[in-house]
Amino acid sequence: MRVAALERPLREEFPRLLRDGERACELEALRARTRRFADEHVRPRALEIDRRTGEDPGWFDWELVRAGAEHGMLRFLIPAPAGGEGGSPIHCSVVMEELCAACPGIALIFGAHALGVSPLLLGGASHWDGVLAELLDSERAGSPMLMACAITEPEAGTDVEDPDLLRRGRITSHARRVPGGFRLSGTKRFISNGSVARWITVLMPTEPRRAAETLTCFLLDTRSEGFSVSRVEHKMGQRACPAAELRFDEVFVPDELIVGREGDGAAETMIVLASSRPPVGAIATGIARGAYERLLAWLSEDPAARGLLERQHVQLVLASMEEEIHLSRQAYMDAATELDSGALGRVRSDPSVRALGHVPASIRRRARVRRWLASERARDATVALLHRTTSERALTRSLALSSLAKARGADVAMRVTGAALELVGLRAGPVRAELEKLWRDAKLTQIYEGTNQLNRIEVYRGLCHGETVNCLPPLHRAHVNADVPRHADLEAGTNGNAPQRPVVGTVVGAVGGRV
Amino acid sequence: MTGATAVERAELLETARELARRELVPRAAALDAGEQDVLATCWRQLAEIGLDRALLAEEHGGSGLSVSDLLAAIEELAAGEGGIALCVLLANAALATLPSEHAAAIPGGARWALVPVRSGAEATVSDGRLEGSVASALGAYGTEGVVFAVQGDRPASIAVAAGTPGLELARDEAQMGLRAAPAASIGLTGIDAHADLTQSDGASAPADAGGVLALLRAGTAAIARGIARRAYGMALEYAKARRQGGVAIIEHDAVSEMLAAMAVRLSCPLPAAAGAAAALAAKVAASDAAVASTTDAVQVFGGTGYMRETGIEKLMRDAKYCQLFPEPNWVAQDELMRLACD
Ligand SMILES: Cc1cc2nc3c(=O)[nH]c(=O)nc-3n(C[C@H](O)[C@H](O)[C@H](O)COP(=O)(O)OP(=O)(O)OC[C@H]3O[C@@H](n4cnc5c(N)ncnc54)[C@H](O)[C@@H]3O)c2cc1C
Repeated sequence: MRVAALERPLREEFPRLLRDGERACELEALRARTRRFADEHVRPRALEIDRRTGEDPGWFDWELVRAGAEHGMLRFLIPAPAGGEGGSPIHCSVVMEELCAACPGIALIFGAHALGVSPLLLGGASHWDGVLAELLDSERAGSPMLMACAITEPEAGTDVEDPDLLRRGRITSHARRVPGGFRLSGTKRFISNGSVARWITVLMPTEPRRAAETLTCFLLDTRSEGFSVSRVEHKMGQRACPAAELRFDEVFVPDELIVGREGDGAAETMIVLASSRPPVGAIATGIARGAYERLLAWLSEDPAARGLLERQHVQLVLASMEEEIHLSRQAYMDAATELDSGALGRVRSDPSVRALGHVPASIRRRARVRRWLASERARDATVALLHRTTSERALTRSLALSSLAKARGADVAMRVTGAALELVGLRAGPVRAELEKLWRDAKLTQIYEGTNQLNRIEVYRGLCHGETVNCLPPLHRAHVNADVPRHADLEAGTNGNAPQRPVVGTVVGAVGGRV
Repeated sequence: MTGATAVERAELLETARELARRELVPRAAALDAGEQDVLATCWRQLAEIGLDRALLAEEHGGSGLSVSDLLAAIEELAAGEGGIALCVLLANAALATLPSEHAAAIPGGARWALVPVRSGAEATVSDGRLEGSVASALGAYGTEGVVFAVQGDRPASIAVAAGTPGLELARDEAQMGLRAAPAASIGLTGIDAHADLTQSDGASAPADAGGVLALLRAGTAAIARGIARRAYGMALEYAKARRQGGVAIIEHDAVSEMLAAMAVRLSCPLPAAAGAAAALAAKVAASDAAVASTTDAVQVFGGTGYMRETGIEKLMRDAKYCQLFPEPNWVAQDELMRLACD
């Protein structure tokens, strides 16, 4: 039995899109493209890849990544001036729901890549012509590269996902300042794509005892000396995407590969989570939808299910699945829209950001300009822009809505997959294996991107209690260890005095970047 | 079946508990991986303490336990490994279905399994021949024989020894839970439903489909409960040891509430006897409780819980199968209401 996605126009699924015809068309096209990829490459391979990776967690299907790259699955978040599609969490969510209805494990490869890219969008234009360009070049050359994002460590999972908990947590990783950059040591755990990524955004404190104040985001080249993959986990589900333990043994990262400013990592993490949780809500919604579609197909086509659709019990179960899926879809769309047009909306439309987008790449790539874009002043300007265009309260609210969508979606995914499995029973034939897989896959959505418990705590803080969480890096940061020369300075021979120019905003549509 | 005295019962439960702790828990991952030799080793140990033929009277070579004693032992085994507990249930249900002298003729230590079959939809008996196919019969693969409990208008129990022509058993590789009781897809062509079991190619027995199904349901409830107990024990221990936010995670309400809910679910007793309605209700309640508890147990473990090596996600998969066996819970609830209306 071939299970196809339900053929409904996107406007029916997101009625609010009726108000924005242009966006509806654009998202519809993105979804159609994703659906083509899912139908041709993902659905047919999902069970087989799950079986193979169940036996050997290190097995990885690069063929699928290449096919995904051809369908634009790796570049939708990359800012347009850098050559990508400049998508936002809304785009990411639409892609995730569609892929997850086919196979959440395969979707996670692309989702974890997007998560790895996300901090770079906060880091401003300095990465456009660096790693982001490299990603696009590798795609064009037919050997796409993947990214990952490494936050979690063995002693700190929930604790690294919240600045207050970070103060009480036991962070064992450490980025030590050395001339020209940092040396990273420690272990990161459960990192999706960790064993296959070429670049990883890594969060580590420069002073583990003051982790909340000194957490910093580094862009790590996995070919660096001292980096290794110490294990690949044997997971319950979402197996197509490997989760790896990563060892850092004094791995050198130069200054220009710090993402944002030194010490801004905790706030950056919160913005990244605010923008990555709606897509996780979409992942969960897609899983639920995948189960629902398979169940419907089985009920209407399989001789073993004859007569079941006439049973009121079955009709009620299906109706409540529709209901739950619809609501969780609206929840992630609300959250993504709020972030995109609300909390970060003014960042995206800021004239300085738009102007920078019109600067030709040939000029941007000049050594002096690149040095400037990577300079402390440019980084300060990025933070200043954030302060000018949004507020901690707006971001906290947005984070809470994102957390709501994530936690709600995850619970829906568990309920719908569990109920579908219960309806078909043990003897249903091949559809059972597909539903069992989705049920195993669904459980992860309650755990990653912060457990549902932590997400609900964010909902309490942001919505019930009206709190303000530290989501913005401080406007002024005394540059730590200012006496130690920076790598760029060493190269330029300026010893700390990088050329200073009038500031053009360098945040590019934090998490998104269409100019 | 006279059942054991209180002392004997306590001893039996202690023995089952010990065996679960010492032999089954350390082998749970291997059993989950479908290693048949490990299953054979465990089965030998169970046979040594007479749990493979617990309900058979002593004069027929059995242990002469009552159903409630067997259920209590099954719960203890399931607290070690759910699939093995299911093998014990299926073997005892198979033998209980047969006339005692036929059951006695099955050599000690042989693993048989009862397979409930829906008449018409899955298999039919006509002209003394059993025909049809069963998609996924838990515990049937690798057995020395299968007793088909045909339900429907004309219930029947038909015992077929492995190797009988017309009986095809293929391993259900996709089986997600209770994998120590390996499931088989079964093909049945022209199986003689009259033959004599002592000739080891088949036998028919007076059917007591209602009784045997009640046993399967009550047994599944006991397995679900054993699984939920293990999940609670593991989660509690982990929650005391794991620290986040500067304290043991059990200090967080979010975690202690999950653990408390597990404890509350375990505090509801299972019915002592396996009457038809009570068994149905018990199986629905215990399996739903087990799924809720094991899902939360994985949650207590956080990301670690999602990894196979912790052994906790396996409990979730095993518990899910208790909701589906011997029939999905919604079908069991239908049946419960049918009984209530009769
Ligand atoms: C397959 C997989 C892929 C992943 N991919 C990535 C990735 O790509 N990058 C990355 O950085 N991380 C990744 N993670 C890690 C994931 O984000 C963490 O597992 C998650 O944040 C939980 O952390 P933990 O596992 O350490 O659980 P813990 O933090 O130890 O939590 C254990 C339990 O305690 C509860 N708890 C902890 N603290 C509190 C509190 N303060 N209040 C209330 N309850 C609390 C939790 O809710 C949970 O129930 C992945 C995890 C998995 C399983």
